[in-house]
Amino acid sequence: MAGKSGRSIAYTPERSILKRILSWEGALVIIFIGVLVMGRIMSASFTPENVLREMPKYLSEILIALPMGFILIMGEIDISVGSIVCLSATVATFAGNAGIPFPVVILICLATGLACGALNGFILTRWPELPPMIVTLGTQIIFRGIAEVSLGAGGSASYVNSKDLDILGARLGPFPVAFFAVIIAAVIYIVVLSKTTFGRKLYAIGSNRTAANYAGIKVGKVRFIVYTLAGLMSAICALFILTTTYGANTTTGQNYEMDVIAMCVFGGIATTGGKGNLFGALIAGFTIVCLRIALGLNNINTQLILVIIGLLLIVSVLISSLTQSDFFKKRQLKKAAEKSAKKEAEALNKPLE
Amino acid sequence: MDEDLILELKGITKIFPGVRALNGVQFRLRRGEVHALMGENGAGKSTFIKVITGVFPPEEGHIFLDGEEVRFKSTRDSLERGIAAVYQHPTTYPDLSVTENIFMGHQIKKGPVMNWKAMHAKAAELLGRLNANFDPKVEMGTLSVAQQQMVEIAKALSTNARIIILDEPTAALTANESKELYRIVKQLRDEGVSIIFISHRMEDMYELADRVTVFRDAQYIGTYDVDGITTADLVKAMVGREIKDMYPKPDVEIGEEVLRIENLSRVGFFKDVNLDVRKGEIVGLTGLVGAGRTEVVEAVCGITKPSAGKVYLNGEELHIKKPVDAMKAGIVLLPEDRQKEGLILSWGLGRNVTLPIQDELSKAGFNDEKRERLLSRDHLEAVDTKAVTIFDPASSLSGGNQQKVVVAKSLAQSGTKVIIMDEPTKGVDVGAKAEIYAIMGELAQKGYAIIMISSEMPEILGMSDRIFVMCGGRVTGCLSRAEADQEKILHLAMKETAKGGENAEEEVAG
Repeated sequence: MAGKSGRSIAYTPERSILKRILSWEGALVIIFIGVLVMGRIMSASFTPENVLREMPKYLSEILIALPMGFILIMGEIDISVGSIVCLSATVATFAGNAGIPFPVVILICLATGLACGALNGFILTRWPELPPMIVTLGTQIIFRGIAEVSLGAGGSASYVNSKDLDILGARLGPFPVAFFAVIIAAVIYIVVLSKTTFGRKLYAIGSNRTAANYAGIKVGKVRFIVYTLAGLMSAICALFILTTTYGANTTTGQNYEMDVIAMCVFGGIATTGGKGNLFGALIAGFTIVCLRIALGLNNINTQLILVIIGLLLIVSVLISSLTQSDFFKKRQLKKAAEKSAKKEAEALNKPLE
Repeated sequence: MDEDLILELKGITKIFPGVRALNGVQFRLRRGEVHALMGENGAGKSTFIKVITGVFPPEEGHIFLDGEEVRFKSTRDSLERGIAAVYQHPTTYPDLSVTENIFMGHQIKKGPVMNWKAMHAKAAELLGRLNANFDPKVEMGTLSVAQQQMVEIAKALSTNARIIILDEPTAALTANESKELYRIVKQLRDEGVSIIFISHRMEDMYELADRVTVFRDAQYIGTYDVDGITTADLVKAMVGREIKDMYPKPDVEIGEEVLRIENLSRVGFFKDVNLDVRKGEIVGLTGLVGAGRTEVVEAVCGITKPSAGKVYLNGEELHIKKPVDAMKAGIVLLPEDRQKEGLILSWGLGRNVTLPIQDELSKAGFNDEKRERLLSRDHLEAVDTKAVTIFDPASSLSGGNQQKVVVAKSLAQSGTKVIIMDEPTKGVDVGAKAEIYAIMGELAQKGYAIIMISSEMPEILGMSDRIFVMCGGRVTGCLSRAEADQEKILHLAMKETAKGGENAEEEVAG
């Protein structure tokens, strides 16, 4: 069956460097550099060494931002991750204090997070009509509740064999282990999202769930995997938090879900699904981490970061909504129409030559 | 004026992007008459109603109310002038009370406060007038469809409507409920209300209407006195044309049976459906909207679960539980709602085409973008898609070209044996329609077995080798290409409603 009109359709992608720089990720890189410069101007102690030393306190949240990006791209949300961090850290602390060898403690911690994530995934795929926001609000309360009950009256437990944790809190050269963990995880997640069929399915589900289902994508399976991953990454985050807090308490991991969602949205991922990528979220994550460090080094109340993140979020959402506005869209459509008209004219002229 | 006209529309034209939904139609409604409006699906009846009620202001034409020209910009304007519409599916607030539904938008107030007492009393009075004996304080959602319709009519009366439009009011009603509705309509007419009545049912028209106006293909065909027109003439007026030649149906040698559906049922949707399609054959599946056609193919394709019955492919029984099972077996559905079910509009065409097969094309889970691009380009060109690049978003194409992308997507799946097209030319303009028919013909020549669901009589007659007609969730008949004509199909498509009425009466009697 050949095309009757003989019309041909171009299939080589256009690669424009200018477009890349003008993208939201490009803007984020500039904002990130701006934050570094600003930090340096504000305080002489904002040196690479100091920044890297302070990093582990905040860095591990980015580990959760990665699967959260997957979830948001599917058009869903998981607000139980902070509680999974708390429960995994609590379980790990008790396990360590019970004299279990550290490698096994790590496995137990990861298994806890995995189980929590799998529970979210199970509920949401068994009853797909339930709203993820409410289901994970429920499990958020349950997971933290379990942790609080086990922590008892004091509300905290310290990790007795704290030397065990030093392996994870160590440095390779100037870089903390957590930094490598974040980079390695980020590379894996970014590649999975942008290069694999699994990543494409996430975008398909987030863009049009019905069409994805009709196209034979196992929507339930994909969702289950992603929620389970969020639990697992929360547990890895919990391990790195233990290296800076040497124990768990009832506020461990509190508000992490909001921080992490903020990183993703600031990084250009739309909560409505189907749009954005993890490269943006990664840079946004590092930007927020460095902002926190800069404020900390200047002895500014670190809670001010909340105000700044809030503002950043609104600005980033506003910018994306402005670029999506009718004015911009019409201009883009007009340009595209002109382009296609030109190409069609060219195609028509060719046979004559 | 020799006629006492309450409403007159002249030269109404309504254009939607790419489609002329109404083309210079006219309509004359006399005071105190029941006027039926008939035509095939897509003839423009619903659009016409929306023009009268001000939902869609027309591009051209004039509307006269009591001889005075009016322009309605919204439904509020038309309501104020006494025109109210009651739709097929009552658009109500199920969680609110009957009273709240009746007075939604024009509540009776005492100063700034709702006057519930007055509203309940007025609601009870209106319902009493309709002989509807239920409490206006009950929640809307607890009522039956028929009762909800009563509430909608009461709502229309509460705005002092002089013209009431009923859009397929009996479609969801049982025979007895329909009778009750007839009684109410006659009562309203006797009270001086003018009524426009849309229905597919001949019996509704004969029972109620004084005159009937027929639309076809967005055009006005004629207005007739009900007493002076036979069913045969009316059907001819509705379906009219002879354009069998427009359909390039090739002569294909029909091979062995590919798909067979046996006694397939889904409670509440369809019952005991038997259907088969052979290699190289185009089977038309038709019936009125709501007959259960889409539901049958959705069950075959694993989108919903049938409650009973079997599906065989090449003589072997299939157990399809999910859409992916059907695809693997080689059954592909081109859904009716392309934009919601068939395409990811924000994605490029290429990715849409390869979406179902990206796993097959991938290497160790990684997308093989190069192969995907080439393959999608080939398939998009094969169906002659009007696009500049495969990266154009699907949303940028016209309906016809979007349909071609969906076809390309189904052909890209190498194991495809059966292609099920649900309303393949819905929302597609005439030129692209012909192209899609040509593609269908070529697919049949290539040996695909094709099931085409369509409400459009000419395309069913023009393209099908055999035609299955459904009505009320059952297959009421199968016609060969040679024996099929419009009247036979319409007869089969309306069979169950007529019969259903008789059965219901028997049940009541027994």
